[in-house]
Amino acid sequence: MLLKELTEAFGPTGFEDEVRGIVRRELDAMGLSVRTDVLGNVIASAGAHRPGLRVMLDAHMDEVGLMVTHIGEGRDEGGLLRFRPLGGVDPRVLVSKPVVVGERRIPGVIGAKPVHLQEASEREKPIPMEKLYIDIGARDAEDARRHVKPGDPVVFATKYEELPHRMAKAKSFDDRVGCYILLEALRRWKGDLAVFAAFTVQEEIGLRGAHAAAYQIEPDIAIALEGTVAHDVVDTPSHGQSTVVGKGPAITVQDAQTVANRRFAEFLWETAKARNIPVQWRRVKGGSNDFGAIHRIGKGVLGGAISVPVRYIHAPTQVVSLDDVMHAVDLVVAVLDEIAKGGFRP
Amino acid sequence: MKDWLMRLMDFVAPSGSEAPVVQALLDDVREAADETWVDALGNGMARKRGHGPLLLLAAHVDEPGVMVIDIDPRGYLRLVSVGEVHARECVGRQVRFINGATGLVHADPAKQGDLDFDALVVDVGARSREDAERIAPIGTAGAVEVPVVTWGQSLVTGRALDNRLGCAVAAEVFRKLAASGRNVCVAFTAQNAVGARAAQAAAFQLEPRYALVMDGASADDMWHDHPAIGLGKGPVLKVMDRATVVPLEGKRAVEDAALRLNLPLQYEVSREAWSDTGAIQLARAGCVAVALGYPVRRAGAFAMTADLSDAERLVDLAVATAEAWLG
Repeated sequence: MLLKELTEAFGPTGFEDEVRGIVRRELDAMGLSVRTDVLGNVIASAGAHRPGLRVMLDAHMDEVGLMVTHIGEGRDEGGLLRFRPLGGVDPRVLVSKPVVVGERRIPGVIGAKPVHLQEASEREKPIPMEKLYIDIGARDAEDARRHVKPGDPVVFATKYEELPHRMAKAKSFDDRVGCYILLEALRRWKGDLAVFAAFTVQEEIGLRGAHAAAYQIEPDIAIALEGTVAHDVVDTPSHGQSTVVGKGPAITVQDAQTVANRRFAEFLWETAKARNIPVQWRRVKGGSNDFGAIHRIGKGVLGGAISVPVRYIHAPTQVVSLDDVMHAVDLVVAVLDEIAKGGFRP
Repeated sequence: MKDWLMRLMDFVAPSGSEAPVVQALLDDVREAADETWVDALGNGMARKRGHGPLLLLAAHVDEPGVMVIDIDPRGYLRLVSVGEVHARECVGRQVRFINGATGLVHADPAKQGDLDFDALVVDVGARSREDAERIAPIGTAGAVEVPVVTWGQSLVTGRALDNRLGCAVAAEVFRKLAASGRNVCVAFTAQNAVGARAAQAAAFQLEPRYALVMDGASADDMWHDHPAIGLGKGPVLKVMDRATVVPLEGKRAVEDAALRLNLPLQYEVSREAWSDTGAIQLARAGCVAVALGYPVRRAGAFAMTADLSDAERLVDLAVATAEAWLG
């Protein structure tokens, strides 16, 4: 199952090789023209030389993770791994989580002082990242060094599983769900339009790969496909939810890097409504996606973002609605159809 | 210039919602231009082909504002900011939305200390969520309403003076240079207040050799006997901000022009501003980009004050600088 394979692949920012391998395999099977650029972005195209609008669809391959900074020496912490975040990681979600270290997937666990041993004051606030470590069961520093080096990346060890009510849990729905939607939309869509798919690197540390991808593609229209924040849970009023899981893909009006083109956002909305695809506005300004980098490239690029609501985003176990995922695929296909028919003119 | 300025100030144009004011500005320069167009990011552009290297005149048209991000079941709106806006400055004020709807901003009385936007709701007279969705749907932008008042012949106070006055100046300079056969273009840039997002795309399309950027300069004459920048004391050379340092060649050209015209010149060094200038300077292979300003009390805020005599002298200074560059 492709969504399971994509979310379980090892791909923290800068180490997207496994994800790239899956993406390239799928694109090759579709018979598309595919290349990998110097930064590691995978760029595929269908109908690249057709006259008219050039449409770029974007999903980032990387996920948030950690990076080993050094290996502890001495009697007390010999063989324990210290780390820093790769992308935005909340230290409060880390304690006691299983992880895998490096592309050889050395298993480990993020350790911390047990509750029995904590001072009263320590129990009152979250443990800062500098006090956390990864335990891979090494006897000492020398033993650890046989398996791990500083600079090795770390991801959460979460497996993909389906939950009741068409929900699923996994790590890295942000943004493997976007990669999945993009692949499935390309598989389904047939039409007369120059379509470019960019599977980008290094989104989580500043939208870095998308910049170069857009420079190469020179699109007229670009759409980022994302997993986005949902907090539709206990004690959260409507204006704190951002998005609601199960209510369909979300369309951005403003985020930290983009003010949406209102005409294009409404085009996405109306396209969904016309085909009975559920859709919702993304009701938060915080956060951003690759479109924030893409729209500023060259002569400027029109477009927006279609995002799947993700509960517990950037945490070890994230939850999505599979219906939202399928509706996002439907919406991307519908939007390409409409653009190909001349339903949106920049 | 005053009547035209007042008309420009009446447009509500938060970043991303600039289309109507951009059209008004392009209408104003169309007769002097070979072509006009609006690009993907909302920049309005006009170009007149002529002799010599290409000069770009740029002025941002947008203003900071607010945007509807959610609507509660009783029909009250929730807001986020567009650009740098303090929630406390919105409390008790009227918001005019780009679709013409008006709302009144309330703050949650239970919230203490420095307010954020989560503490605000806007009443638009709706009786239900559906009613409110019709009046001001999610994504609708607006600005805090401030009436325009003139004091005497040249002082104006009101909303969006920064940078509709710069747009009026840029348009006037464009017309003068176009009339004398210069190779010149003007960009009324979008999305400045959210971090100078669109100006680079404008410069990318136009590929100028030189650029003059017109913007408000922050005056401090309310507080000091010897202010760094004061109203009525002439145009401002923007030496440095967070995105750019003026190139020496450009600084000398401006100073020489001021000397020839016998104009006073003030200098601004800003620690806060992210100007369009830095973005324009670094488009493609780069260009000589200089920012000129007119003094504004409360630049970048909702309500502000400027002196039209400074803007009139800024027109002269910009034309003289351009003529020295373009020959």
